[in-house]
Amino acid sequence: MPLVKTPKPTFAQKLKRFFMIDFIKGLTLTLKYNLGALTDKDAVAGKGIYTEQYPKVRPDVAPRFHGAPRLNMDPETHDTLCIACNLCAIACPEDCIDVIPMDVEIIVAGKPRKKKVLDEFIFDTSRCMFCALCQEACPTSCLELTQDFELATYSRAGFVWNREMLEQGRETVKYTS
Amino acid sequence: MLLLGPINVLNDLLLKAFSQETITFFIWPLIQIGLVVTLVALWVAYATYLERKISAFMQARLGPMRVGPWGLLQPIADGLKLLTKEDFIPDKADRWIFFFAPYIAVASAFIVFSVIPFGPDWAVIADVNIGLLLVLAVSSVGVLALILAGWSSNSKYALLGGLRSSAQMVSYEVAMGLSLIGALMFARTLSLSGIVAAQASDSIWFLVYQPTGFFLFLISGIAENNRAPFDLPEAESELVAGFHTEYSGMRWSLFFMAEYAAMVVVSAVATTVYLGGWYFPFVYRLEAAGQHNLFVFVSLLVFLVKTSIILYVYFWLRWTLPRFRYDQLMDIGWKWLIPSALINIVLSGFAIFVVQALDGWRGINTIESLERGLNLTATGKGIMIAIGVAGLFITAGLLARINWRSRDFHLKTQRRNIRLVNVPKGKPAVQPGS
Repeated sequence: MPLVKTPKPTFAQKLKRFFMIDFIKGLTLTLKYNLGALTDKDAVAGKGIYTEQYPKVRPDVAPRFHGAPRLNMDPETHDTLCIACNLCAIACPEDCIDVIPMDVEIIVAGKPRKKKVLDEFIFDTSRCMFCALCQEACPTSCLELTQDFELATYSRAGFVWNREMLEQGRETVKYTS
Repeated sequence: MLLLGPINVLNDLLLKAFSQETITFFIWPLIQIGLVVTLVALWVAYATYLERKISAFMQARLGPMRVGPWGLLQPIADGLKLLTKEDFIPDKADRWIFFFAPYIAVASAFIVFSVIPFGPDWAVIADVNIGLLLVLAVSSVGVLALILAGWSSNSKYALLGGLRSSAQMVSYEVAMGLSLIGALMFARTLSLSGIVAAQASDSIWFLVYQPTGFFLFLISGIAENNRAPFDLPEAESELVAGFHTEYSGMRWSLFFMAEYAAMVVVSAVATTVYLGGWYFPFVYRLEAAGQHNLFVFVSLLVFLVKTSIILYVYFWLRWTLPRFRYDQLMDIGWKWLIPSALINIVLSGFAIFVVQALDGWRGINTIESLERGLNLTATGKGIMIAIGVAGLFITAGLLARINWRSRDFHLKTQRRNIRLVNVPKGKPAVQPGS
């Protein structure tokens, strides 16, 4: 009385075993992959090879991907669009945004007035979870999470981005070969 | 032929300084040895590259791509890296044996190339009349290197790897030697050039006479080289790296080179004995046309292509099959390969007997001559091929009958064994307090 009932192999199963059909199937599978890889012309994410040549060829990220933050500027005057309203800092669930405003004297209708403008903008990317709530809160669509994904730095301090970095973006090395 | 013209010019140049005898027996062999060692080393280096590429393609990857175009300089970069790495020797290792084991491995793999006929005429270093015997003898010395490396490292993984390799070699060496005998009965010579000549004069490959022998030789050759699916001596999932666990830097790469060189050796011998060596049906026409050097060159290319195909089979099998269990390995060696090699010898003898007995009987003409090996007519070839192909099925059927109760083969027996060691009813499986 065996523990597991073993059905008697049929004649077809015996033949299959004798001619090693499964072994040949395995060999054809690997050969098929090999030939598919050789005939795959563009060699990146085609039908044969799935490897992406990352630094050389940059991958396309998903359209709704949230990456490195950026402070947008007026394309004509190159002034920042930020009005230092602090809404993004309030919206941020991680408290990683610090908006530091500054008062400037301007003349409005002949009278000196104080106006709050942006002095410094601190964005701590090490704590950011890229939820993009700040982007939704921004009334002037100044703060935006871009598609740039290379955020690694050599030190912890490098994660804290200041206004200049947020406006100009990180410098990334472009590899060609 | 512009490429090969300088050979005669060089000979004339050397004649000014040396006698013709010195040139033929000393200087030309030296040049040949230099060329073969360089080319084989290069071939071995690029075999590693090809292995990586092919394995990558079989897994839908790209493989090395960064060093040079398509990563073609990767072997050179690897070599430089390994040369500059630290040559580490464990504290309690047997220093001298640890030093010399890699050299034994490499030397035994490279010495075999001295008798392999890469082509006719000047493309073979030494046409020894015991060529095949020398190949088998020298390549089995390579096992010694693995055992010594495993033992001298003073590490349990390395020792286990060495033990496994010795057991494996002992089992598969027998099958390897026996599987070649069938082909030798047709060739009637041990000289590798003679075997090629026998196939050329018959204008047939011994593969069609001896399919069983070819497969047996290939399987035992793969096992001999410790390649997957027989790579138990360096089973990385159990033994870290097997016999070369403690090796690093250049010494490790020597083992690596030895493995790939041994692979090239086995594929070269399989090509020579079963695939007709450098012989290709129309290659003799070049000789008849008076272009001797071109003939040699084309034969050389034919040999390289055939050997590369067998090398590809090596890679192909490695990336298709999983590793055998240790008892399965031994079962295949002793219960399947050696008996089938013996059956193959009997069947080849029977085939030769049938062909000889039929010759001249009722006007049937099977044998043309017995000059270089067994020259058969078309009828004789037909009989031989029929018996050879039938031999595959006869061998497989016979062994399936003999081994049907064997543990690895018959699943029911395995389960019966499980039931026998099972704990009796009414008794707890684990004794309290134990």
